[in-house]
Amino acid sequence: MKKDAKNQSNLLVELFQKKPLGAAGLIIMILFLLVAIFADVLAPYPMQSDMMQMDFLNTLIKSSPEHLLGTDSLGQDVLSYLIYGCRTSVILAIFCTVLSTIISVAIGLASAVLGGWFDLIVQRIVDGFQCIPGVLITMILMSIAGKGLPQLIIAIAIPGGIGGARVMRSAAFAVKDSGYVRMSKLLGSKSSWRAIKHILPNIMPLIIINMAGALSGVIMVEASMNFLGYGVKVGTPSWGYMITYQGRANMYTAPWLALYPGLCIMLLVFASNMFGDSVRDLLDPRLKGGVGSYNGNKIASIAKKIAAKREKLAQKA
Amino acid sequence: MAKYILKRILLLIPTLLVVTIVTFALMRMMPGSAVDMILNKYQAMGFTVDRATVLAQLGMDKPFVQQYFTWLFDLLRGDFGDSLFQNQSVLELIAAKMPITLELSLFTLIIINVFSIPLGIITAARQDSIGDYSARLASIVLMAVPTFWIGTLVLIYPAKWWGYAPTITYVSIFDDFAENMKMFLVPAVLGAAGQIGMQMRVVRTSLLDVMRQDYVRTAWSKGIKERGVLYGHAFRNSLIPVVTLVGGSVASLVGGSVILENLFNIPGLGSCMVTALNNYDYPLVQGCVVILAVIVMLINLLVDVTYKWCDPRVTLE
Repeated sequence: MKKDAKNQSNLLVELFQKKPLGAAGLIIMILFLLVAIFADVLAPYPMQSDMMQMDFLNTLIKSSPEHLLGTDSLGQDVLSYLIYGCRTSVILAIFCTVLSTIISVAIGLASAVLGGWFDLIVQRIVDGFQCIPGVLITMILMSIAGKGLPQLIIAIAIPGGIGGARVMRSAAFAVKDSGYVRMSKLLGSKSSWRAIKHILPNIMPLIIINMAGALSGVIMVEASMNFLGYGVKVGTPSWGYMITYQGRANMYTAPWLALYPGLCIMLLVFASNMFGDSVRDLLDPRLKGGVGSYNGNKIASIAKKIAAKREKLAQKA
Repeated sequence: MAKYILKRILLLIPTLLVVTIVTFALMRMMPGSAVDMILNKYQAMGFTVDRATVLAQLGMDKPFVQQYFTWLFDLLRGDFGDSLFQNQSVLELIAAKMPITLELSLFTLIIINVFSIPLGIITAARQDSIGDYSARLASIVLMAVPTFWIGTLVLIYPAKWWGYAPTITYVSIFDDFAENMKMFLVPAVLGAAGQIGMQMRVVRTSLLDVMRQDYVRTAWSKGIKERGVLYGHAFRNSLIPVVTLVGGSVASLVGGSVILENLFNIPGLGSCMVTALNNYDYPLVQGCVVILAVIVMLINLLVDVTYKWCDPRVTLE
């Protein structure tokens, strides 16, 4: 247990030492986070009373010293819009990932610890949810809750969280059968105590892996939802919204309006993918290199040497 | 085996019941209703229709629970009801849309597997070579590209630079084979791109994992060549996570990619469901979800049975 805890605190150090790509991903993500936090300072045309500034005389200009990345059809400065869009994406990514993880862990743990009928029924519900396309559930939830960022966070997190519950349940099940959890049960501990004190810390690596992996998916879904018209409120800057309602609408006169926000999405997703991958490599013991790891080049050269030796022996004989 | 399959099919029933309850409840929780749509339609043409009459005709004047059970028992008799806005039965509509979506799915699936499996094997066999690194980097980039963004760009830039735009008028495969292929090629490639990246990595990781097993070492020590070890001993065994992933992508493809169908004007199941959702066409949405859920569950069953073929040690319980 103690060793595990120590490993986790060293995760960052290990990331920077062994996984330069993952570290680069983390740094890019932190940069995006900083841009999101200091959007008001960084944006050349900061928001005024929750509205982007609109320059009605300069709409759809390409790029100029005043507007580095040009303006859209409402005369909003694209660079400022992208910076505020980053804030939307980052807020959504953080809250959505945390919320969906909480949902999966809660369902998974309760299922594994309580077992019996509860488990059977909850698992059927989870199965049922997984058979319905996630996009459709999010769309229906959005039309129930109405447009807006908090609604979008919940509507994406619910199907995502329910979908992830199965993995958490099987992990918790594996821990549940171990000696110390049984012992604790024998000593008369409450099931909630066992779940939080004994099982939760032991499935922590899996939870971290899942969170890191969920980040990129969440950003992608947010962008797609805005594309489909089930996203944030009109006026909230969002990359997906810009691609659809500015980029597609003005695709022949101002194609850059679709290009820039897409590049932003791509960079953020790329960074979180690299980060998520490295975290998984570091935490998942099955993927660690070392003894027994397979290296085709090495084996092929050894095999060649053996074959050569055999031929020599055969010739001698 | 037969007993296992029978048991799994029996387990489908409660799951399907959950699906019907969830869909029905979610649809009815949406603000606004089909009745409003119908009343608006008549009002726009200058007629005033009594709300109660419409409610009675749709059977919506009864309590929700009664409506649910009426729908459920109709389903059990194979009656999916009629679409509220398109003068066809739900089954007819699905039968018309399904082949289009299935064709696109098949096309996409072929592209995914033709690229991802060989690439995965090569990168695993030459782990840590330049080819391995570049293919892995490319796969992360592919995974980071938002489909709707690249789809929009594909529609914008070729048209701007070369005056070429992908075909976006639907032609049936039976009317004009070449034209149909031309139309499906771009969306299929775009739909496959992200999945190729992901699947390639899964093939690679899984193959590397199997290559360090004891029985593979035995195969090496028997003097079998690399090709024999890879394809004869390791490959089939490494397919389990790949099969899971392929099952998942089939399930999501069959649901129809809402985004690609939207962008490229393909009259498939995905766009059908979204239109139905926007129109509050209750029977159509519910019918589509139920049929999709059955398909997804059967695919999951098929995936589990395939595990046994991949790895004879797997016991189906």
